[in-house]
Amino acid sequence: MSNRIFLPLVIALALAVPFFTANTYFHHLMVLWMLFSLLALSLNVIIGYIGELSFGHAAFFGIGAYTAAIVGMNFGLAGIPGLLLAAVMAGLFGFVIGYVSLRIVGPQFAILTLGFGSIIYTITNYWVDLTRGPMGISNIQPLGLWGEGGVALTGARGYYYLTLFLVIAFAYACHALLNSRTGRAFIATRENAPLAASLGIDVFRIKLLGFVVATAVAGVAGAVYAHYLTVITPDVMSLQYVAALIIMVIVGGRGTIAGPIIGALIYVVLLELLRALGPLRLVIFAALLTASVIFLPGGIVSLWRRLTGEETKPREAAE
Amino acid sequence: MNHGRARCSARPSPDWGEPVDYIVLAQQIANGLVNGMTYVLIATGLTLVFGVLHIINFAHGEFYMLGAFFTYFAAQLLGLDYISAAVVATLAVAALGILANRLFFWPLRREHEFTILLSSLGLALLLTNGGELLFGADPKYVDSPFADSIVQAGQLVVTQQRVLIFVVGAVILLALNLFIRHSRMGKMMRATAQNPEGAALTGVNIRQVYTVTFVLACGLAALAGALVGPTAMIFPTVGSWAVLKGFIVVILGGLGSIPGALIGGLSLGVIEALAGGYISLGFAQAIGYAIIIIVLLWRPQGLFGTARRT
Repeated sequence: MSNRIFLPLVIALALAVPFFTANTYFHHLMVLWMLFSLLALSLNVIIGYIGELSFGHAAFFGIGAYTAAIVGMNFGLAGIPGLLLAAVMAGLFGFVIGYVSLRIVGPQFAILTLGFGSIIYTITNYWVDLTRGPMGISNIQPLGLWGEGGVALTGARGYYYLTLFLVIAFAYACHALLNSRTGRAFIATRENAPLAASLGIDVFRIKLLGFVVATAVAGVAGAVYAHYLTVITPDVMSLQYVAALIIMVIVGGRGTIAGPIIGALIYVVLLELLRALGPLRLVIFAALLTASVIFLPGGIVSLWRRLTGEETKPREAAE
Repeated sequence: MNHGRARCSARPSPDWGEPVDYIVLAQQIANGLVNGMTYVLIATGLTLVFGVLHIINFAHGEFYMLGAFFTYFAAQLLGLDYISAAVVATLAVAALGILANRLFFWPLRREHEFTILLSSLGLALLLTNGGELLFGADPKYVDSPFADSIVQAGQLVVTQQRVLIFVVGAVILLALNLFIRHSRMGKMMRATAQNPEGAALTGVNIRQVYTVTFVLACGLAALAGALVGPTAMIFPTVGSWAVLKGFIVVILGGLGSIPGALIGGLSLGVIEALAGGYISLGFAQAIGYAIIIIVLLWRPQGLFGTARRT
């Protein structure tokens, strides 16, 4: 099926889905799916396009969430200004952290981002005056246009459309990026950094650009998450979430656009289906990650290509 | 997050006038050195696996967790005394290391380093959550006859358990050093570290080197868990704490360097103790991460590491 028919169909389906059922629990799951899709897509920019493993991505999600919550609470700006500020804050942290850590590659980069993520997590836990520490912030206002008053998003359906819009916009941006000069520079950097540098690509700048974009988008996802759930605790930055995001990207298929979205769907669906199993469900997730790494390095998406017999585009082939 | 701090950090009362400050300081340093020795035990396995096999094992901390829990259950279920329980636990986890290597690391030896890193992350999650499933999430205490009796040297007060940690750690490290320097297997491990293909060509059994390295690494982590168990609470998620400390130490000392792990571990223990005693506990938690960031930026190969490919 060609993309020209397929994509609008998927988008139309996504737009129509909330009307199939009035079940708000179902709507809630859809919102979570879209939020995790946005996060996984942003992490995919780092893992799939830059070709580095970041173990600190959940921290930027948390920074966005806390920025939106604090700005909304203290300045009454729970709306577009809050979202923008969350993106700026997360992107700023991303810039500083990326600027220092992208000089290092491979496993050391993974450990370094893990260190930065852990520092942010620890500070959030201990800076009680600002973040209320482990108690977290509750009663965050719903998302409005410009502070309080005026329209405010309350129901899950509204948040679903907002997050769906964000996912489509960011997925399109990723698609456009990959087909641009900058995008080709990304891929060249991922495949062979010294060679890319020899062709005149400023490898460090390209990596930093990707890192900052990824962290800023994670910040937006965090802000929407905070307004949607109205409660936020430092736990969103914990290793559990870092691992969850990595699982989504790897199991779905890194370096592709559909992969992280499918990965997020699998995560949300399995999390709900296996809720009764308690800790066992995380064991299943871990097994899924390991099995995917060993037997299906390209993720679920590569299965699709294998089935339809389409040639793997070298551009999107996961390393 | 307070795991690793002493349950009884007995300390002279601080209102005895001028010289007391030095005693408090010495006490902090002594506590720090003992904590540091556990970091050394954890980090040595991590650095060994990286140095010999070029694998970053994210699941390393889980073997520490298993060491502590196996000690607990060996004492509770088999009725063993603390020392035998610790030995049984260490041996059992070392044997588990063989299994982990066969299933998660050996088959992937030709893959990209990220594949192995992700596979070890999967193993870490499996063991943490499997541990939570099997052992329960509530914290447990390992009983040890040495935990409540103290050793006094001048005005310094340390529990016997903490003396045991330090002494056993030092002896084991010395033995490990002799093993790697002089035994046949140690030489084979060093050859593999330098050049796996070359070593294989000259007849080194790489498969055996993988097995022995993982047995040693997992055994060391388990021993650390068995020793620290009686001084702090144990819970199934403690593995991520352990592996983070291990990472800080190996980055500080240089990935792959055992002397680096020794100096790095002891320094981290002392720095944390002083930061916790004189600044704040939260700061003590964060300072380790701050150290790795500074070290990685200043000397990516670590303070004692020799320059190597990254």
